[in-house]
Amino acid sequence: MLKTFLLACSLCVMCVGGVNAAETEREPFDDRYCTTCHGADGRGNEGVQAPRLAGMESWYLRRQLENFRADMRGVHPQDIEGIAMRPMATKLSDESIDDIIDWVGSWEYVPAEATIEGGDPARGRGLYGGCAVCHGDRAQGNESLGAPALAGQNDWYLVTQLKNFLAGYRGAHPGDTYGAQMRTMVNTLRNEAGILNVVSYINTLSR
Amino acid sequence: MSKQVTRREFLNLLSAAGGTAAALKAGSALGLLPHTAQAASMDLLAANAASRKVAILGAGISGLTVAYELSKVGYECTILESSLRPGGRIFTVRHGDLIDEIGNRHYCEFDDEPHMYFNAGAARIPSTHRNLLAYCKELNIDLEIFINENKTSYVQDPALLGGKPIRNIDYTTHSRGFLAELLAKSLNAGEMDQPFTDQEAETLMGMVRSFGSLDEDNLYKGSFRAGYAAGGFLEHGVQKDIIAFRDLLKTQMGRQLLSANEGDTGPILLQAVGGMDKITEGFTKHVGHQIRYRSMVNSVEVKEDGVDISYDQDGSRHLLQADFCFNCIPSHLMTGITNNFPSQYVDALKYIRRGNAYKAAFQAKERFWEKDDIYGGISWMNNPSNQIWYPSSGIHKEKGILLAAYDFGDGSFHTAMTHEERIEAHLSDGEKIHPNYRNQVEKPITVAWHRMNHMLGCSARWQRNRSGWTHEEEELYHALQQPVNGRHYMIGDQVSMHSAWQESAVMSAQWAMTDMDRRLRA
Ligand SMILES: Cc1cc2nc3c(=O)[nH]c(=O)nc-3n(C[C@H](O)[C@H](O)[C@H](O)COP(=O)(O)OP(=O)(O)OC[C@H]3O[C@@H](n4cnc5c(N)ncnc54)[C@H](O)[C@@H]3O)c2cc1C
Ligand code: HEC
Ligand code: HEC
Repeated sequence: MLKTFLLACSLCVMCVGGVNAAETEREPFDDRYCTTCHGADGRGNEGVQAPRLAGMESWYLRRQLENFRADMRGVHPQDIEGIAMRPMATKLSDESIDDIIDWVGSWEYVPAEATIEGGDPARGRGLYGGCAVCHGDRAQGNESLGAPALAGQNDWYLVTQLKNFLAGYRGAHPGDTYGAQMRTMVNTLRNEAGILNVVSYINTLSR
Repeated sequence: MSKQVTRREFLNLLSAAGGTAAALKAGSALGLLPHTAQAASMDLLAANAASRKVAILGAGISGLTVAYELSKVGYECTILESSLRPGGRIFTVRHGDLIDEIGNRHYCEFDDEPHMYFNAGAARIPSTHRNLLAYCKELNIDLEIFINENKTSYVQDPALLGGKPIRNIDYTTHSRGFLAELLAKSLNAGEMDQPFTDQEAETLMGMVRSFGSLDEDNLYKGSFRAGYAAGGFLEHGVQKDIIAFRDLLKTQMGRQLLSANEGDTGPILLQAVGGMDKITEGFTKHVGHQIRYRSMVNSVEVKEDGVDISYDQDGSRHLLQADFCFNCIPSHLMTGITNNFPSQYVDALKYIRRGNAYKAAFQAKERFWEKDDIYGGISWMNNPSNQIWYPSSGIHKEKGILLAAYDFGDGSFHTAMTHEERIEAHLSDGEKIHPNYRNQVEKPITVAWHRMNHMLGCSARWQRNRSGWTHEEEELYHALQQPVNGRHYMIGDQVSMHSAWQESAVMSAQWAMTDMDRRLRA
């Protein structure tokens, strides 16, 4: 386990001199803030709308952290949840990202509980046909296509993402090539009803 | 606008036949309010040897209250606290302290002196918060007056007189003068004869005149109440110019200015000498050894005869088994912690929204405001930084800590900014009042409660609309207040109808302990 204990001086923006700062004993810290928002063992926390990280593919986790850090995600003013995540990623060094990925990898995958109401899984099944090409027929994900697993993820989070893709809050940045692929696909769901239907179908799948 | 007050309305008012009477009757129930204050003592049953282990989740003031009280009667308490310090939203920042805001962690560089502190969370204690005050007394915490209202501080609004800051006293004296003049006119003699006796009419007119400093003709022509433009001591005072009513009406700030010193923030307010965390210290002197820091609760399982809690400390997982559990972890964080709570309980936890407050502070190189007749209190600005607080402590010392911004309604404006952007925003807002501000302040800290580690909010918001508590909300609230299995209690100001006050947190803890005690006696 890696702990990056930084001293104040390297961060302090306005401190004059800075000599005193280094001399004093200061409370150390690392970057392992994730569970404050993402819940116990990264199982997701609806209370702050932060999704499950436990069981997430390491390649996908890395890409998202890098996208947030590079301002390719979580910048649109209407993307409230993404904005909550981005300042965390902005502070991560490459070394820290490696450490975090190891840490997240140590959490046990526990599928999230279904919470959404009002979707029709039968209709959703029809809609999901097009999604399976990339995300897999059990929504287990496909690394070679860069598409993450969807089964077992918090349903309220999937809904937010599909809405965000549809509205162009996610996947619109020119550098976000994977997001762009997804964004073109989301139009087949057309509206909120379509989104609820497909997510309630994904809720029936397990990986 | 021409509608006049009817005789009936006056009569109602005079005889208090309507809502007022009801309120007065309720007032006689004052004797029923929790009788306390001088000793905080709770008179709890001594712990039973077979079930005396208590787990307290979170070292907020409610958790500390439980630890303190239950330890007195023989319980064996353990407090699990995920952060590195006790006190939660009681957070006093001093030289060298870490501000653990996610994405904006920084250290405080204030000079290392006793009066150079900043209460980034709780700052004021109303004199009516008697349970909290009783603990302050019992724990020997020195208190001093907190200056909230200051008539020489400023009011600034770009819409008012081209943005020129005016003294609070100018705003309030002139506004009252004009309001009183209007009232005096509406109470013209003709109508007053009818409902009022001569004596009453005279008293009322006297009140109105004195409220607004009116002259014999019931006109407002300015007042020395606003201070002198010159002289006043060895020579005759020269009256200040009046600000026209129409000009005063250009700003909406009256709404805040005329109510800022009423209710919970009305005089007298107190603060702990040397920082609000002296209250936390008062408790930790007794129960500090029971706290396990950097111990993050991971799951809470209520069983038939107790509660199992798992938590992470030093990179490994631990289990704590207790007979009773008192939990002040914020509701929106508790929803992410594995638990086996009943569904209505979970619904209640999920229902509560988290408030979004923001505070920032600067160290001032010199106490420039004192040279400008300002000692403590608040200047109000119609811009996002909203307020400047001048410290009530350290008067006439060289330096001091200023509150540079306080957004308690919706702090998202500054929360979304970087540390540097926030600082620049406060400098440019503040220099509209104090022209040399930028050069007079240094060593900023900014605290967005929405992003503070292990907190992510400033206070529980139960009500979805302003019209009051809905039936559903009250039911959820009462469900959350009840224990699970008689073993697990949610506490904290989140389990009160008056969140964002330490008093509510203390009272929720007392409510829970009293309920446990009642069940044990039954
Ligand atoms: C900006 C601001 C201004 C305020 N002004 C005033 C004021 O002037 N006067 C006043 O009386 N009150 C004021 N308050 C309110 C007052 O601070 C709170 O009501 C009171 O401190 C809340 O105490 P609490 O016991 O409910 O718990 P909190 O203080 O919320 O403590 C909860 C604790 O739980 C810990 N925790 C979180 N997650 C975990 C976990 N997983 N495991 C273990 N521990 C965990 C936290 O670290 C924290 O220590 C203000 C609050 C704010 C934010
Ligand atoms: C301040 C709260 C907060 C903290 C701290 C935080 N996150 Fe997040 N995170 C969020 C929120 C909210 C979202 C949801 C964003 C959205 O809906 O677009 C999110 C989204 C994510 C995503 C995207 C998930 C997906 O399926 O695409 C990843 C990955 C992530 N966070 C990883 C982390 C890691 C790793 C850490 C610790 C270094 C961390 N987060 C810390 C709040 C937080
Ligand atoms: C062409 C391949 C492709 C198809 C078809 C596709 N997706 Fe995606 N999807 C992706 C990729 C790639 C990503 C990852 C985007 C990124 O990295 O930001 C993604 C991401 C997502 C996410 C966000 C996951 C998260 O954890 O944040 C959701 C939700 C999603 N897809 C749902 C769907 C649904 C529903 C469909 C069918 C309507 C669908 N996808 C069709 C490629 C695809």
